[in-house]
Amino acid sequence: MKVNILQWHAVASWTWDAQDETCGICRMAFDGCCPDCKLPGDDCPLIWGACNHAFHLHCILKWVNSQASQAHCPMCRREWQFKG
Amino acid sequence: MIKLFKVKEKQREQAENASGGPPVKKQSAGELRLHKDISELNLPKSCTITFPNGKDDLMNFEVSIRPDDGFYLGGTFLFTFQVSPIYPHEAPKVKCKTKVYHPNIDLEGNVCLNILREDWKPVLNINTVIYGLYHLFTEPNSEDPLNHEAATVLRENPKLFESNVRRAMAGGYVGQTFFPRCM
Repeated sequence: MKVNILQWHAVASWTWDAQDETCGICRMAFDGCCPDCKLPGDDCPLIWGACNHAFHLHCILKWVNSQASQAHCPMCRREWQFKG
Repeated sequence: MIKLFKVKEKQREQAENASGGPPVKKQSAGELRLHKDISELNLPKSCTITFPNGKDDLMNFEVSIRPDDGFYLGGTFLFTFQVSPIYPHEAPKVKCKTKVYHPNIDLEGNVCLNILREDWKPVLNINTVIYGLYHLFTEPNSEDPLNHEAATVLRENPKLFESNVRRAMAGGYVGQTFFPRCM
């Protein structure tokens, strides 16, 4: 049998591979974006610390750059270092 | 992704066209987060939350705590919460409106609770703060006092501390200070 494909339509889905559903800082979904962004995905990525806790990049940057944080992970209080 | 980028382009165009027009009032990140905190509150029976300015102003609210155990059993204590637009990057500002004889709350209503100060972190929420306040009444602690006199009495003579607390809550003087009734 010979089949001629006249048209095809590809669909893909994506999700962040984090253990939690939501960011502990803003409580928004990881597959959504931080409250300062409009669109999820590459523009509002997740980032992991050396302690393996994940946050929206924008949320954790705002926190570790603030005086109050002393650059600690908001989950475990260990020194925040980006996972290499 | 192609669709997403189209949406983005469109938004950018709209933003450019709209520049100069009046800014649209939009919920701050702090309000969004607070809204989640409030909707997920799970308080003990002894704590109630009210919004004196109505549901349009979530950022200012009051919590009343009625301890069901300990020295402060039977008293009712009112706290005001002020939440900043950068919440949760900054702890809520909490004051005690009820004058209370307590080692960790001074006579102006300032509250000494670690998670409201040096130990605040953005994964905490309104629920944890309220539990922290509740804990202050069941376990007042004399080690990090704001009211030094009360702390000394608690440390050196818990019986006298207990009777001072009862007297203050019933409405009366402890030393030179008058405390209105709060039972």
